[in-house]
Amino acid sequence: MPHTSKTPAEAVEHYRGRTVRLLSCVTSVHVVVRAYHLSDVPHELELADTAKMRGGPLSIDVAEEYEVRQGADGWHVEILGYLYAIGYEGRELVSYHWHPSGSSPITWPHMHVGANIQVGDRWLGKVHLPTGAVGLERVVAMAIAELGAKPLRDDWERLIGEAAIR
Amino acid sequence: MATRTDNEIRELSPEEWDQRVDEQARKRLGMSGEEFERRLNAGEIDIDDSPDVTRVAMMLPLHATHK
Repeated sequence: MPHTSKTPAEAVEHYRGRTVRLLSCVTSVHVVVRAYHLSDVPHELELADTAKMRGGPLSIDVAEEYEVRQGADGWHVEILGYLYAIGYEGRELVSYHWHPSGSSPITWPHMHVGANIQVGDRWLGKVHLPTGAVGLERVVAMAIAELGAKPLRDDWERLIGEAAIR
Repeated sequence: MATRTDNEIRELSPEEWDQRVDEQARKRLGMSGEEFERRLNAGEIDIDDSPDVTRVAMMLPLHATHK
């Protein structure tokens, strides 16, 4: 169940706070957002630049589209699209995409792997590997727990757990 | 290891955001933000063409409006 707030502005504040705390587990690069205002147009949040993570040649890039919606219990932020990419030695290792609008026929959440493997006349790296919706917290957790990125704060597990609740 | 503070959030005005899109399009793709948006919307560029294309496309404010 998503976190709900009394006003749209509170919902955005909660979402932004959650996201920057999560990102502060692995990078000190600042977060850039379009100034929030009531709008039918979705908003953007992203890392200012691809960020190197501590503990090896790993990097992370993040962009999200979101909008504020009103439910029966109050206002909440809904993620409408995302890009979460992990790089290794300057090349994309794995990326999670969801861009359900626009001209692409691939409207479902998917991932790309940076594998230089040919499958017939296709390269595996160009294949859209289907996924469910992926949360940023899972990507941050994977970077730390499985890829060896060194967390920048010692409460990272708590923050990931909190972010998973939304 | 000390627990550090949260990352900074920088709010950009719509004009500043447009400028950022343009800068990123030129840096990553070698074209203006305006040209990139036009070619993306015309179907000349696929959002999954490359990691850089996807990254810049995600910045376009109208990208997710065609719901």
